[in-house]
Amino acid sequence: MSGVRLAWLRWSARRPDARAWGLMLPGTGWLLVFFMIPLLLMLVYSFMPKGMYGGVVAGFTFEHYLRFFDPLYLKILVTTVLYAAACTVLSLLMGYPVAYVISRAGPWKNLLVFLVIVPFWTSFLVRTYAMMFLLADEGLINKVLLALHLIEAPIAMLPSTSAVMAGLVYGFLPFMVLPIYGSLEKLDPSLLEAAEVLGAKPFARFMKIVLPLSMPGVVAGSLLVFIPALGSYLTSDLLGGAKTFMIGNLVQQQFMKANNWPFGSAASFVVMAVVLAAVFGFLRQRDNSEAGGL
Amino acid sequence: MPGKLPKWLLALTASVYVFLHAPLLVLVLFSFNDSKFAVWKGFTFRWYERLAERRDILDSLWVSLEVGLASTVISTLLGTLLALGLARHRFVGRTLLESLLYVPIVTPEIVCGISLLILFVFFKMALGITTIIIAHVAFNISFVVVVVRSRLEGMDRNLEEAAMILGADEFTAFWKVTVPQLWPGILSGALLAFIMSFDDYVITSLVTGPGSSTLPIVVYSMVRGVEPSVNAISTIILVVTAVLIYASDRLTQDKPLKA
Amino acid sequence: MSFEKEAIQLIEAVRRGEIDRRAFLRNALGLGMSLGTIGLVLEACSTGEEAPKAPPAAPPTEPAAPPPEPDLGPVEAELHIYMWSDYIADDTVANFEKEFNCKVTLDTYESNEEMIAKVQTGASGYDLVCPSGYAVTVMKNLDLMEKLVKKYLPNYANIAPTFDKTVFDPENAFTVPWQWGTTGIAYRKDKITTPPDSWALFHDAALKGKVTMMDDMRDNIGAWLKFRGKSLNSVDAADLAAAKADAMLAKPNLKAYVSAPVKAQLVSGDVWAAQLWNGDTMQGKAENPEIDFILPKEGAAIWCDSMVMVKGLKNKRAAHEFLNYVLRPEVGAKISDYTGYGSPNAKATAAMASPVPYPTDEQMKNLEYQQDLAAGTAAWDQLWTEIKSG
Repeated sequence: MSGVRLAWLRWSARRPDARAWGLMLPGTGWLLVFFMIPLLLMLVYSFMPKGMYGGVVAGFTFEHYLRFFDPLYLKILVTTVLYAAACTVLSLLMGYPVAYVISRAGPWKNLLVFLVIVPFWTSFLVRTYAMMFLLADEGLINKVLLALHLIEAPIAMLPSTSAVMAGLVYGFLPFMVLPIYGSLEKLDPSLLEAAEVLGAKPFARFMKIVLPLSMPGVVAGSLLVFIPALGSYLTSDLLGGAKTFMIGNLVQQQFMKANNWPFGSAASFVVMAVVLAAVFGFLRQRDNSEAGGL
Repeated sequence: MPGKLPKWLLALTASVYVFLHAPLLVLVLFSFNDSKFAVWKGFTFRWYERLAERRDILDSLWVSLEVGLASTVISTLLGTLLALGLARHRFVGRTLLESLLYVPIVTPEIVCGISLLILFVFFKMALGITTIIIAHVAFNISFVVVVVRSRLEGMDRNLEEAAMILGADEFTAFWKVTVPQLWPGILSGALLAFIMSFDDYVITSLVTGPGSSTLPIVVYSMVRGVEPSVNAISTIILVVTAVLIYASDRLTQDKPLKA
Repeated sequence: MSFEKEAIQLIEAVRRGEIDRRAFLRNALGLGMSLGTIGLVLEACSTGEEAPKAPPAAPPTEPAAPPPEPDLGPVEAELHIYMWSDYIADDTVANFEKEFNCKVTLDTYESNEEMIAKVQTGASGYDLVCPSGYAVTVMKNLDLMEKLVKKYLPNYANIAPTFDKTVFDPENAFTVPWQWGTTGIAYRKDKITTPPDSWALFHDAALKGKVTMMDDMRDNIGAWLKFRGKSLNSVDAADLAAAKADAMLAKPNLKAYVSAPVKAQLVSGDVWAAQLWNGDTMQGKAENPEIDFILPKEGAAIWCDSMVMVKGLKNKRAAHEFLNYVLRPEVGAKISDYTGYGSPNAKATAAMASPVPYPTDEQMKNLEYQQDLAAGTAAWDQLWTEIKSG
């Protein structure tokens, strides 16, 4: 063991780049072989004519990308982006206060974090169905309200856009809460004390100190909510009555019903390109502002 | 800590928790419902009894645990090393590699699943537990890296350097100083990886083979057929995890669970 | 003792049930009998009362009937089945395992396309899959199926004439029909008092928010094609345009596009009428007797899912035994009683607790099979996307 150890130390001392790669090689290798190469294959597929029953046939074509810029599909893209954006904003509005309270909860911290994660030990599908039981015309909420004579007739909550939104937020809220909590927890309380001593009002303390310092968490959380929300479609199928077509539906339909794998790939790559450009831009900006920090 | 938390903030937080847990209560409630459908017909244990008869559910639970544990261990190990490399070193192509890490997060699951299926066929790999584990590690690594990195960024490197000045070599310093400090990050990365593996349906359904159906695949088919033992198995999983997490939390009071 | 004598004694012992098949296998292999011979013997002994037409345990030197079918050897130790969920009785597999000493894995899929994508790889590892009619055509075109060896399927004769030699497999070369059903309208008798008789029900604004149609382009657009008296396999632009207009007219009335899970909402009363399969309706009716099922007068879809063997399967003999086993009347009856669908097996239908009657010739005129749309899929896909996002 020590021989290997020594060899590694000697070798890596001479080549700092190699040292980094030694750490990263296994993970990067796995990602390359089992993610990037297959993905590149799909990218190649997206430029080939479709096979009759899935797959592709030899040839080269731009038709799938051109087809995506039909108003029919652009409208679906816009709808999906709006849903995902609304979901992100709502998750932020609901998740930030929760993260803030948890970070100040002292001995209750662990329990509160735990309670945010618990629902995710059940299958996504089971959770969504449970939500449907709650919201249905003959569901629990309506039954209780009727029994209490608070309403005369059942409120139609399902399926609806608000139900979809509730389902989306429900599905992704922890991805918002946890990163924000992470950054709030690192916040130095003495900063706030100093501000209070200096006479800053609570709102000003929040806007001037807490919010800016927790921005990395907010950004990370927003990305972690926005991205999967963009690809989601089961939620809108179940809680929205499948009456809205999302990008996720489109991709699924192309692979599983229309036997048009290249168009499904092309649609995916257009969306991924948009998101990746945003992430890449964000990383560049962060790296520049860090100016060589960790 | 300056000031107490305002009442409206606490009320808002409480209502978010209600929102998160109300469906779970429904789920537990309906696991005792004496009807296949969402109409309350009386109390019963029969869905729990039925679990014992349904070999497929228990088999798939084992497959899910096996896949979950294996893919969590591998992806946490590889992801942590990758995060260390990224955080500790500057090298050519660092930003590119980092953006690359986000690709699995933004790739639609169906694309990931189909492309892996094509790859496995190309390598002539028989579909089964191995292919599921490979797929799960592939989509989990990125999430582990993101979580562990966020912990690394807040970490004090001086301790590690001090240890090395005091004569510890790089490995000793790493095991004795870095890992313990990094532990909460590694743990939450692992937790996230396990949950994602445990809940994945789309990708898994495309790379499973004979006899290796995971719990979500069986659950999916049961929901389609309206089978309340699904609620029963979910309730059991909820209770078991709650107990496990509570126990491990009590055992490691000073190593709090955090993200 | 000569080899021949010992072998005959051994075979007789299996026949009389003195030694089990496994012990026989061990002894026979010890004697140096070829696997083919053993298979023949076992087959002759195993099928019992269900196999009157099984070939006699003749020595392999004597050639069989004119079209020589290959011998498959003994029943393998395992069998891998891939089929729709909730489509087999609880004890079907367990009883087969006991009787044939064969470990069965049963995995489920939710769409033909998912199954085909995997089988197409050639590495799926599955022996038997259960495609719908049009998917049989697809699998045939892609050469994904193995031909049945009929001599191992004496019970094939139990198939009813209606489902014998279907349009998808006119020679019965590949398929063993599994379950059949129709896609019509399930409704609540207590909420909709005049029984519906037409797809026009979904155009009735009075039922707004209380009706659903299926979330599948073939079923959904197919119903509207039927409504206008067209074929549900039409790829004619004018037909499709009319179907789209009808579908868009219905959309505001629909509570949701939903398939199988709607039965729960029918039971609870959230939904009063739904486009649904007859079998799933029956499952709902078992919980709530107010649910009933009709076939619209304009016509509807009939379908028949079949079991087929995957090209290059490893456990060919076990697959045949399983197919022959499910073709037994009592086994088939149990499966169909569980699923609520009809059994294409005439003898099984007779043995069912609540048999699903075969369609009469008159009804058959109004019923149509979904067929592979081939290149027409693109037009349907475009139309469905327009309907769903419109």
